[in-house]
Amino acid sequence: MARGSRLAVLTAGLAFGTLSVALARGEPDYSFGGTSAFGGAAELIAGYALLAVGLVAWARRGEGRLGMILLAASFAWFVLDWNNPGDGSAFIFTVGLVLYVAAPPIVAHAMLGYPTGRVRAWPNRLGLAVGYAGAVLLLGLLPALVFDPNAEGCAKCPRNLLLVNGDRGAYESFNRIGVDAGLAWALLLILLAVGGLLRSTPARRRLAAPVIIGGVAYLGLVAADFFHSLDRGFLSNDGVDRRLWLGEAAALCALALAVSWAWVRGRRTRSVLAGLVVELAESAPPGGLREGLTAALGDPSLQLAYPLGDGRLVDGRGRPAQLKGEITPIVRGDEEVALLAHRRGLLDDPVLVEEVAATARLALENERLQAEARAQLGDLRASRVRIVESGDAERRRLERDLHDGAQQRLVALSLALRLAHSRLLPDRDPAALARIEKAETELRTALAELRELAHGIFPAVLADEGLAAALEALSEEAPIPIELTTAPDGRFDAPIEATAYFLVSETATHRSAGVLKVSAARRDGQLVVEVEGDRAPEQITELEDRIGALDGSLAVVRAPSGRVTIRAEIPCES
Amino acid sequence: MRVIIADDEVLLREGLERLLTEAGFDVVGKVGTAEELHRKVDLTGPDVAIVDIKMPPTHTDEGLVAAEAIRDSHPQTGVLVLSHYLESRYAMRLVEQHPGGVGYLLKERVSDLAVLTDALARLHEGESVVDPTIVSRLVNRARPASRLDELTEREREVLTLMAEGRSNKGICERLFLSPKTIEAHVKHIFMKLGINESGDDHRRVLAVLAYLRS
Repeated sequence: MARGSRLAVLTAGLAFGTLSVALARGEPDYSFGGTSAFGGAAELIAGYALLAVGLVAWARRGEGRLGMILLAASFAWFVLDWNNPGDGSAFIFTVGLVLYVAAPPIVAHAMLGYPTGRVRAWPNRLGLAVGYAGAVLLLGLLPALVFDPNAEGCAKCPRNLLLVNGDRGAYESFNRIGVDAGLAWALLLILLAVGGLLRSTPARRRLAAPVIIGGVAYLGLVAADFFHSLDRGFLSNDGVDRRLWLGEAAALCALALAVSWAWVRGRRTRSVLAGLVVELAESAPPGGLREGLTAALGDPSLQLAYPLGDGRLVDGRGRPAQLKGEITPIVRGDEEVALLAHRRGLLDDPVLVEEVAATARLALENERLQAEARAQLGDLRASRVRIVESGDAERRRLERDLHDGAQQRLVALSLALRLAHSRLLPDRDPAALARIEKAETELRTALAELRELAHGIFPAVLADEGLAAALEALSEEAPIPIELTTAPDGRFDAPIEATAYFLVSETATHRSAGVLKVSAARRDGQLVVEVEGDRAPEQITELEDRIGALDGSLAVVRAPSGRVTIRAEIPCES
Repeated sequence: MRVIIADDEVLLREGLERLLTEAGFDVVGKVGTAEELHRKVDLTGPDVAIVDIKMPPTHTDEGLVAAEAIRDSHPQTGVLVLSHYLESRYAMRLVEQHPGGVGYLLKERVSDLAVLTDALARLHEGESVVDPTIVSRLVNRARPASRLDELTEREREVLTLMAEGRSNKGICERLFLSPKTIEAHVKHIFMKLGINESGDDHRRVLAVLAYLRS
């Protein structure tokens, strides 16, 4: 909002107030604020308070509409004293006749629309429409059309510019109905405000309650004045009316204070958020933003997640995230940068979301990029593990196929040969007998070789009984002596067992490795395998790849004595 | 001798039946699963059951489990487990479970009638049977310097035969030596290896196998 127009409104508002009090003091008997200096001060303080918060809100992002309503309320508050016979101006007098009850529906409007100034729920809209109609039509415009001040005996009253046809009966009827209706709509607006407050979320309630309390107090006093006016059938300014009016002034001051208190509170939240940014700029552990926001917003259940390009949702560490509770997106441009899951109602205030997004934007962007990179790294690692796993599964399948297929058939074949053999008489056909015997020998060799082959592809004992059993079996069959110092109890994931086993078996294939000292143990969530021999295995790169895929590490240390120690550490607890 | 054959491979079952029948055995049953095996054993009470280590449904160690169950329920029935695996731990597991009357042979032995009939006869006698290939691999495995190196050639032979589950009498027959000589050899072997000698054949097999596997 331009500075110039704000200044103009401020000037007009100040002049309005001064004018109104001057008018009131001109003919105190017909006024509210004109009877005493105290009354005048009350009128000015309440009106100017509304003027001030209205102007500030008008200038604030997202609260401009609220500001205009509050400014309108300020003007309407002053207009109450304009239907004064001592005005000396027909225009002012006529405006006063039409708008002297306009303040209550406008204040209710500000209250029901708080903090944006927009009223969305249809019962609230309907209630306001009834209020405006009751105040401005039934008590304002309609009586003004039939009110002839001169005919009523007010000789010094200015002219009523809206007078169509003086009709005392109609005038009194409009006022009587207007007062009856006024009590009804004032109570209706109170009910709507209180009901809305009770139904809203805790955060919204915390935010809006002070404003609603001020507004409801004001409307309650208005309703009391309508009640007081029921018997006489029109609004007036006797002693009770004046005391109620003073209360209204106080209630409006409270309402203005409540509106400005919300701003102070918002600033405090912002300063916490700003501190958060500074802290994150200094050191940002992955996922640290969540901790910071949790502290800043006071919601321990808060979750922060980032949508990736492929539609997945990950947390700050790049792990898959599942959000529970109410979800508020943080948007930059058209893109959802992050999603906040939180307690219901925590971020109902659009201004607060805006603040969070603005303050934490850089940190959010930073953490999102990190999360994305971590998620991709995780994908890569998972795919490497899958490759290792599928390779092992294929080996295992081959081993089984060899046993259950080829080997089984060859054994059956050897039986058949044996039967044929037993039916041949040695003296009758010695040549055939010799051929069968040769075939049997060949078959035995083939069976032995097939068994070795299958065992080398993937030892069944590894899959069936685990690493310790497989290493023990290896020490029985290896071409070089193996001294197994420790072997771990229990089972590990199949790729881990296979990797540890192949590390030892690859090293043990070389006859020049001397005596192998092997130990395998579970230590601090890792499977630690140490193989000490005279030389390193040739396929070390392949082993490194396998171990790397499992997020482990492999180190080869050469001692001055020439002995080589291969040490692998493979994480075995997730 | 009355024999039952349990193997899920039909060709092998039929072939083995004919071979054993020709060799004078009485094959009283042929089955394909462990469940059928138990029923048949209950029904016929054979002298020996020949059992494949892998049978339906999981094709892992049904044969070993069945062997243990049969030895528990029918102490008179010996069990010979046939396996493709040259693993001493499976043989050890079997021998550990039951004192005598159990055997572990490589599957391809079925066509070696001499080994097969010898094994069946010994099981019927209540001896244990461990495949010679497994034992010779254990005896000859690569190992750091050990007390085994102190044994003479003949003593190694005797040790091997003990590990296969043979009694002193069996060893005498194999090596054409007198019982007195064998007893002396056994005494020497146990002294050199530091094993406590036991009069019980079965415990002797276990002790020797455990020594060789360590």
